[in-house]
Amino acid sequence: MSNESQLVVNPAPHIHSPMTKNRMMQLTFFAILATLIVSAALWSQVTTTSGWNLGVTVVVCIIIAVGLAVAFDFLIGKAAADSEVNTWSAAVFGLIVVACYTLGVPAMNTETGLPVEAPLAFYYVAIITLLGLVVFKKVMSLAGRKPVNPAAAAKFLVLLPSLPATLLAVDHLSTGPLGVPSLAGPIGAAPTAIGTNGMAGFGSYLQGCYANPMNMMGSLPSIEQLMILEKYHGWTGGACSIAVIIAGIALFAIGRKYFKWKITASYLIAISVASIIFSLIFGDADLTTRLLFEVFMGSSIFMAFFMATDPATTPYSGIGQIIFGVGLAILTILIQTFMGFFGGSLLALLIMNLTVPLIDKVRINKPFGR
Amino acid sequence: MNKMANLVHIPEVKDVARKTPIEVFPDPKIAVVLTNQQSGATNLPLVKVGDTVAIGQKIADTKERVSAPVHSPISGKVIKIENAFNSCFEAPTEAIFIENDGKKTKDKTLTPIKESELATTKVEDLLKIIREAGIIGMGGAGFPTSVKLAVPADKKIKQILVNGAEGEPYDTADERIMIERTANLVRGVRVIRKILGNPKVIVVTKDSKVEAVPKLQEAFSKEPDTEVIAKHLTYQQGDASMMQKAILGYETPAGKRSYEMGTIVQNVATINAIANAVFEGEPLISRVTTLNGDVANPKNLMVKIGTPIREILSANNVTDCGSVVVGGVMMGTALQTLDAPVTKRTSSIICFNKAHAKPKKPTACIHCGRCVDACPARLQPVAIYNAVIKGDFAKAEKLWAKDCIVCGTCSYVCPARLPLAANVKMARS
Repeated sequence: MSNESQLVVNPAPHIHSPMTKNRMMQLTFFAILATLIVSAALWSQVTTTSGWNLGVTVVVCIIIAVGLAVAFDFLIGKAAADSEVNTWSAAVFGLIVVACYTLGVPAMNTETGLPVEAPLAFYYVAIITLLGLVVFKKVMSLAGRKPVNPAAAAKFLVLLPSLPATLLAVDHLSTGPLGVPSLAGPIGAAPTAIGTNGMAGFGSYLQGCYANPMNMMGSLPSIEQLMILEKYHGWTGGACSIAVIIAGIALFAIGRKYFKWKITASYLIAISVASIIFSLIFGDADLTTRLLFEVFMGSSIFMAFFMATDPATTPYSGIGQIIFGVGLAILTILIQTFMGFFGGSLLALLIMNLTVPLIDKVRINKPFGR
Repeated sequence: MNKMANLVHIPEVKDVARKTPIEVFPDPKIAVVLTNQQSGATNLPLVKVGDTVAIGQKIADTKERVSAPVHSPISGKVIKIENAFNSCFEAPTEAIFIENDGKKTKDKTLTPIKESELATTKVEDLLKIIREAGIIGMGGAGFPTSVKLAVPADKKIKQILVNGAEGEPYDTADERIMIERTANLVRGVRVIRKILGNPKVIVVTKDSKVEAVPKLQEAFSKEPDTEVIAKHLTYQQGDASMMQKAILGYETPAGKRSYEMGTIVQNVATINAIANAVFEGEPLISRVTTLNGDVANPKNLMVKIGTPIREILSANNVTDCGSVVVGGVMMGTALQTLDAPVTKRTSSIICFNKAHAKPKKPTACIHCGRCVDACPARLQPVAIYNAVIKGDFAKAEKLWAKDCIVCGTCSYVCPARLPLAANVKMARS
């Protein structure tokens, strides 16, 4: 009889798919890490005015964010008896904080947002990490499902004080001497001088913003090359769009149905279609400039693959994920076009996150035999 | 939208067992016969302590319609009547303990018919034999077969699906029956055809059963209006309703029984038992079960119902038992004690060693939606689970918890290891 009490009695089923939460988080961690390594390598060519190498800055940011996230997750897990210690999940969160933080050289920053270079950027990354982990990841999940993406929410909260200035700056610049064109008007690759919508062409603005600041002499790379291959300003995670796409698709291929690729696909399709429609409405000089900007800017491409697909803050049904992706695309383009908030996908994501409980109620497929 | 495309593939793990011929396991020294192994009305013992019983003697029954009696698998003396762990109901229930006297005296109550007499035998008589033989659905449901086959006169049965899918991983008992008892299956199907008014017969099996497929094709080739379909089927398509969708293309409306759609689905082990009862006069006192999992020699055993699982494990030198599951790893029951006996529904005995058997540790849901995508009944397992956890059974019902087919796929895929299936099953009942 001695072995009887030791028999393990679980409810059926008694076997499981090899996929666990931890494994999902590990895969996500390495996918995002891969894109950040590409960013750091690309940006190691740049030294900012404060004397910091931009590639090294990325690496230090990763160490700070991941280190703090994992440490605090562990401490909270130990302090609160009913809290799980999710080391991999915390590490992924740390990486996302870094990936959605804007770095570059200050001269390229047309906005007066958060500091874009070390050492000030380190403090902000640390603040966003702690705020996001403690408030949006741990405290909010006490009540069940997390309502919003913790990294996006924390960044937005920290960004909030400087937001009016950011919006005003973009608006002001469109009529000022620099002549940054507003997206709510006709744009094109070359200087257009269409009406009053900026002196510089939107394409020239993108080139000035995203090209390698160490190499501004001579001819600038094409808009396509910058948007798809190398951006030296903006979201850390989105420096190389093609790297994000490859890492993202690899993650979906390995993780199969455990990752919400339908959100990414529907978002990318919807934002492409919306860009083309806006181009036609505003009478752009070409159809590609707006499209390249809306699809491949760091906040768009990185979010599409790694933030909009966060399992906890997105719908669980297939149809819900498509609604979410399309909604995110429409909100993003509206915010960027009419509010002049470049990187507005952050706000769009938070709004869409809040609609998830409603989207989850949408049923297209009736149960079997009904 | 064809949602069947989302069915989750679950590894079969049958390579060794499916090649191992059925081996007869010796009769137990003490048989533990559970008085209730069927779904439906409750049986009461017909014998008392001290009685002598013969092989095949009816020892528990009821007068209710939806019922099936149980019989003594051995000859000997009733030594006690008390509770034993019943894997059909995941709880201890009444059992009759019979000590084997080794005399092998046989009870002759059940009168078999000759194969040539089948055409002239009345349907009621055939149903009576099936009822008195204690035959129930051996695929797991345990519904009395005589009741299932007694279709109301106004319902015309268009086809019989012979379910040889055996979707449960590890299980190969049905597969071996299809290989070794093919002729018996053919005559069993003849009985059912006769009862149901000669409808079309479709024998359904999986293309992975490479040894069984040609045997079935050959044996059934001479039968009238009979077709053998061997195709790729997932685990979930072994379920009767899913099989009708896969083979016949329709979804049985919720709440309707499959006979209302003109179809009867019958598992091969059950058909084998019907043939044994009708032509050999042998009640359901033994069955084929697969011994598999973390065992040195996976095999298929012909065991007497009532044989304690402990005897089977020790005779096969299985000592490292962390968890023992009977009736399939997806839908079956984990034993609380190895003294639990084999029942009519014990299609397999799967042992997991101590290193592999771990108590489930559910973690928080991450809302990945995998269960929603995977559910073959197109339910929202996580939503039902959340309602059940909150005790909101009204909401669970609104989410169609009743339509759950208890296949366990949601729990199988859950990366948080939530006991989704167990909770939906609770909401269902």
